Amino acid sequence: MSETIRRDPRREWIARNRLHPEHASVLLEMGNAALSEWPGPNGVVRKNPRAVGFIGPNGIKRIDRSGLQQGGQAAATTAAPQDSRRTVTIEDPAFLVAVVPDMTGGRLSGHDKDLLGLARQMADADGEHPGAVVAIVFGEHKAAALGDAGIDRVVHLDDEVYTGFAPEARLAALSAVEREMAPRFWLVPDSQLGGGEQGRRLAVRLGERPATQVWHVEADEHSATGWRCTARGAAGTSDITRHLPRVVLALAECAEPVSETRHAAQPVELNQPLPDVLGRIEDMGEVPVDPASVSLAEAEFILSAGNGVKDWEGYHHAAQVLGAAKGASRVAVDDGFMARDRQVGASGTWVSARVYVAVGISGAIQHLQGIQTCEKVVAINLDERCDMVKRADLAVIGDAGDILAALVARVERYREQQQENRDAA
Amino acid sequence: MPHNVNTLNDAELSVAVLVSVGRHPLTGRARRADHDARAVEMALSLGDASVQLMHAGDGGEACGDAMRGYLGMGISRVKRINQDPDADVVPALANILRFAAPQLVLTGTRAETGEGSGLVPYLLAETLGWTVVSGLAEIESIEQGVATVLQALPRGKRRRLKVRLPAIATVDSSAPAARQSAFGPARRGELADCACASVTDELQTQWRVQPARKRPKRLKIVKSASARDRFKAAAAKADSGGGQLLNDVTPEQGAEAIFTLLKEEGVLR
Amino acid sequence: MLNTILPILIFTALALAVIGALRRIRLWRQGRPAPVNLFKGLAALPRRYLVDLHHVVARDKMISNTHVATAGGFVAAAVLMILVHGLGIASPLLGGLLLLASASMFVGSLFVARRRINPPARLSKGPWMRLPKSLMAFSVSVFLITLPTVGLLPEGLLEGSTSWFLVVVLVGLVAWGLGEMFFGMTWGGPMKHAFAGALHLAFHRRPERFSTKKGGGGRSTGLKALNLEDETAPLGVEKPADFTWNQLLGFDACVQCGRCEAACPALAAGQPLNPKKLIQDMVVGMAGGSDANYAGTPYPGKPVGEHHGTPHGPIVAPAALPEGASLVDAETLWSCTTCRACVEECPMMIEHVDAIVDMRRHLTLERGKTPNKGAEVLDNLIATDNLGGFDPGSRLNWAADLNLPRMADLQQVDVLLWLGDGSFDMRNQRTLRALVKVLRAAEVDFAVLGDEERDSGDVARRLGDEATFQSLAKRNIATLSKYRFQQIVTCDPHSFHVLGNEYGELGGVYEVRHHSTFIAELYDAGRLTFSPWKGGSVTYHDPCYLGRYNGEFEAPRNVLKALGIELKEMERSGSRSRCCGGGGGAPITDIPGKQRIPDMRMNDVKESGAELVAVGCPQCTAMLEGVVDTSAEVRDIAELVADALVERPAGEASGASRQPAATPTAEEVIV
Repeated sequence: MSETIRRDPRREWIARNRLHPEHASVLLEMGNAALSEWPGPNGVVRKNPRAVGFIGPNGIKRIDRSGLQQGGQAAATTAAPQDSRRTVTIEDPAFLVAVVPDMTGGRLSGHDKDLLGLARQMADADGEHPGAVVAIVFGEHKAAALGDAGIDRVVHLDDEVYTGFAPEARLAALSAVEREMAPRFWLVPDSQLGGGEQGRRLAVRLGERPATQVWHVEADEHSATGWRCTARGAAGTSDITRHLPRVVLALAECAEPVSETRHAAQPVELNQPLPDVLGRIEDMGEVPVDPASVSLAEAEFILSAGNGVKDWEGYHHAAQVLGAAKGASRVAVDDGFMARDRQVGASGTWVSARVYVAVGISGAIQHLQGIQTCEKVVAINLDERCDMVKRADLAVIGDAGDILAALVARVERYREQQQENRDAA
Repeated sequence: MPHNVNTLNDAELSVAVLVSVGRHPLTGRARRADHDARAVEMALSLGDASVQLMHAGDGGEACGDAMRGYLGMGISRVKRINQDPDADVVPALANILRFAAPQLVLTGTRAETGEGSGLVPYLLAETLGWTVVSGLAEIESIEQGVATVLQALPRGKRRRLKVRLPAIATVDSSAPAARQSAFGPARRGELADCACASVTDELQTQWRVQPARKRPKRLKIVKSASARDRFKAAAAKADSGGGQLLNDVTPEQGAEAIFTLLKEEGVLR
Repeated sequence: MLNTILPILIFTALALAVIGALRRIRLWRQGRPAPVNLFKGLAALPRRYLVDLHHVVARDKMISNTHVATAGGFVAAAVLMILVHGLGIASPLLGGLLLLASASMFVGSLFVARRRINPPARLSKGPWMRLPKSLMAFSVSVFLITLPTVGLLPEGLLEGSTSWFLVVVLVGLVAWGLGEMFFGMTWGGPMKHAFAGALHLAFHRRPERFSTKKGGGGRSTGLKALNLEDETAPLGVEKPADFTWNQLLGFDACVQCGRCEAACPALAAGQPLNPKKLIQDMVVGMAGGSDANYAGTPYPGKPVGEHHGTPHGPIVAPAALPEGASLVDAETLWSCTTCRACVEECPMMIEHVDAIVDMRRHLTLERGKTPNKGAEVLDNLIATDNLGGFDPGSRLNWAADLNLPRMADLQQVDVLLWLGDGSFDMRNQRTLRALVKVLRAAEVDFAVLGDEERDSGDVARRLGDEATFQSLAKRNIATLSKYRFQQIVTCDPHSFHVLGNEYGELGGVYEVRHHSTFIAELYDAGRLTFSPWKGGSVTYHDPCYLGRYNGEFEAPRNVLKALGIELKEMERSGSRSRCCGGGGGAPITDIPGKQRIPDMRMNDVKESGAELVAVGCPQCTAMLEGVVDTSAEVRDIAELVADALVERPAGEASGASRQPAATPTAEEVIV
């Protein structure tokens, strides 16, 4: 292709003439989607001051000089965030804080990262004599970024005795860590994914009385450990404030995850070989369960069907692909399309899902009452004036069957991509 | 849900259920604790097992009300070990379990009053040297001293485990719901009190206990070099007032919008 | 010859009848004791039969006349026959009367026979089909054998040797008639209804239902309390013998006329309940046996002949046995909406709802088998004092902006406004707001209990949980006793009924008014002024607990009339109003049928052509509004009134009693 800049006087003229009917499209073409700027004939950037800015939420035109937002278009993608993390290496730690992350699926969960944030806080409390965070990781892990989460040392125990559900073997390993490293604190996520159980086993084995369901930790000079914590008690209805013990089972969001530093995540081996454990619990593997049968009250993602659903097969298929629990309006249940225990609403189940997708449900008041505590409500409906659309955070007007089919296609595409990424990684 | 549990060994399976005093989350009234009641339900569904209920606590009025709740499920008697209000119940329970020697102990995951740490089953298992397994959803069978159970995992998943007996197993809300507690059996049932020396829980007396505070909602922290971005993130309204309405869009566009929301909320796996 | 045979026949039949009666009485006495004044009851019997029972029967003039002729004729004929033919008092006067009586009976039996040609579905067949023939046999034979007595037939006609054939035929007829009428009466034939029915009227468990010489019969609709203090008393009815003896007697009185089944909303919706079959099943259980001989409409979806019972066997199969292994399936009992349409229609004044609740009590209190959401709702009531399990401290959250006066602050008011559990329902909150607006417009001195109020216990009681009901009731009574007020006003007919009719037995006696009654009174006292009605046509749905339970049919209609609305009545209205399906915990137990009761009711509304249906009950509002694709709007009377309210001129603002305000004047209307 020729490097020469070729001029098109007509187009330039159109670009200058605001009143020309093709003005906008020519501008768009010339300016590579930035309406307000385009390269002029001599390579000089030309600006159209009238196209600058956007209409703000109050209907007033605003001009954003940072250059991110232009001509009413969506914010342009910014460059990938620069890596501004500081690299920290703790060579000779004053003490150790041991963390046993859940590592579900071989990755650090949000809960794990919060817990590591807490561990970091405790390790770094005394700037003069920093401690090190040692993570005990069982089984294969795919997280390259252990150091980003604030881990200084990693004890990686990748033996097949630890795969699956092996609390006894893992407990033996943790006891060995205790013997060899004697960490000052043990932090375990108080999760359903195994952390809660493992942490309790560990505490009992170490003879320590742990703090469970901890959600807040702060420094306290009166405490023997230098910290005090607030923990939920009595099934979440009370707060217990106490000195922080050696073993802590903490809830998600107990601290902010590490975001400003990067740590070494240096592998450490245990000196002593681990003893063989005679397990009394044998893991027979996971049993497949239909996500649609998860009880409504527990479900965090519900695809709920009402009178407007005509293609029931499509609906059930969509629920399966999305991995959503199935809900129903009273009418859908009365008409026999759905089982009674699937009914959502004042006279059915009160649900508290994170996302509630109402397909063809107009939103009787009893139904709306039943989804009061749902965080995000999505409505798919033909009638844009119905109450469900008013309640919804996102409402899509159109035929439920078509939209569900498109959604299923989109999600399947997404899954494939993910699979590819995973295979690549 | 009927369970067809075969007990092949000749000796009758003996199951103990540890029950505690529940507390309604809104009114604070004493009731049977939800998890413990599910444990009782699971024990009752074991067919011909002999089930005994045990409770260690202060035997107050609230305790009586709660125990009637369990009796109403068709239990003839609850063994109640009287303890001081500030006692550690683990020694007393360990004592009685060692004496009663059941093959299987079921209990709720955590209590609805007091510390509610969920440690009791682990402490008992450690003391008695028994197996402990958590989060039972179903007992599939018990044969020759080995129980095959389904353990509940988040999002309705299940894992099958084989557990050597004697064992202590905890039950949470994924187990089948407890049957209705009926007035007649509750009134007839017996509260068999027995005394046991109390060991005071010293540590607990140092704690400060208050009603639970609402946890602050975590803000989305924007790490950005630009002051403008940080300001925008801090000043943005937490919830967009009205919802977004997509009219006259193709199904694909609508689906894309929904997909984006689902992904943002992290409900797609 | 005849003179010898007749007395033998008559006295044999009588003797057999007495033996049968004793056996029948033995069956009834299997039941538990009940405090009944036997002599007073027997003394009141004629009036109860001739006045009260006749009132019910006379809703169908044709049948009532038929019954008067047949039954009256039979009673007279039977007595005279014993005198004339049994004891041989052959006076021509008695003979003449006997002829007259048997003739009347014959005419009646012709009508009975006509009714049995293509009988309506609600009538039982089987032995009842032969009854007109038996009646005719009796009346004709008595007439014929009496003819010689009065000399209308030569004496010798039946004496001659050639007349033996005639005699045999006559004797056969007489035997048939006597067999059906005397023997069958106490041994379980169709005529059993006369014997058991008469005693049932005399020993009825609710004597208040009958009129006395002093005044009309009251409505007695409140359920009777269980004695929970007595630990040996059974909690409800497990087996037929757990009913009181007069309840068993009542079941025996059933004539299987099927008026109850014609009125039953559950049967019409295809739910497995038929009040007539239920009563017959109780009879089967009391005597022991199978329901195979039942010849009427079965429970929908449940074939006849598969159920059987004994007096001391469980009515509902315990969990160990499969459904159908005993007398009645549990879902039959849970289908009832307790609308009382069957009781209202029953000419024998049988108490179906009492029996159903008695059996439900056993299922809930002893077995813990309240179906579907029942257990959850009862748990909520126990733990939070409301059906939905809401925080009891949030009972008044809906009215945060209304500044409702609290009883705790005022201590003494004219009107205590009972909000009911509708306070937690967003739809009912609109009604409550409207009602508050009306009360304020009329400057009523009122206050609410606020967080001190608890559920009235209606649902708990009707789900059979007497313990929870009594606990709620006792605590409500204790709260109410702290304050002074003239009357309680509520927009919930269920609370209205329970507070007014069922708290009395537990020591809480109050004057309770439904809001429609109260608004009607305010309007009559001139404290409310309405703008004329501009909306479309309106019909009114009578709530069961307001109408049939408490006899309030007029006040709501008066209010609507005062609003300037001309009602388009539905075919079933007033005491025959069809239930909305929301009573008796039916939406909670939720027994599936072929269609839904509220759908049928909205269909009634549609047929009336009305564009709006006015209701006076939160349950009815919820049920009827839950019907999809309807043409009619559902609104509470309070809402209609609040919308039509007109500010009164300033001068009258303080004058509480404007002169009898029959109709608003033109000026007032224009304002």
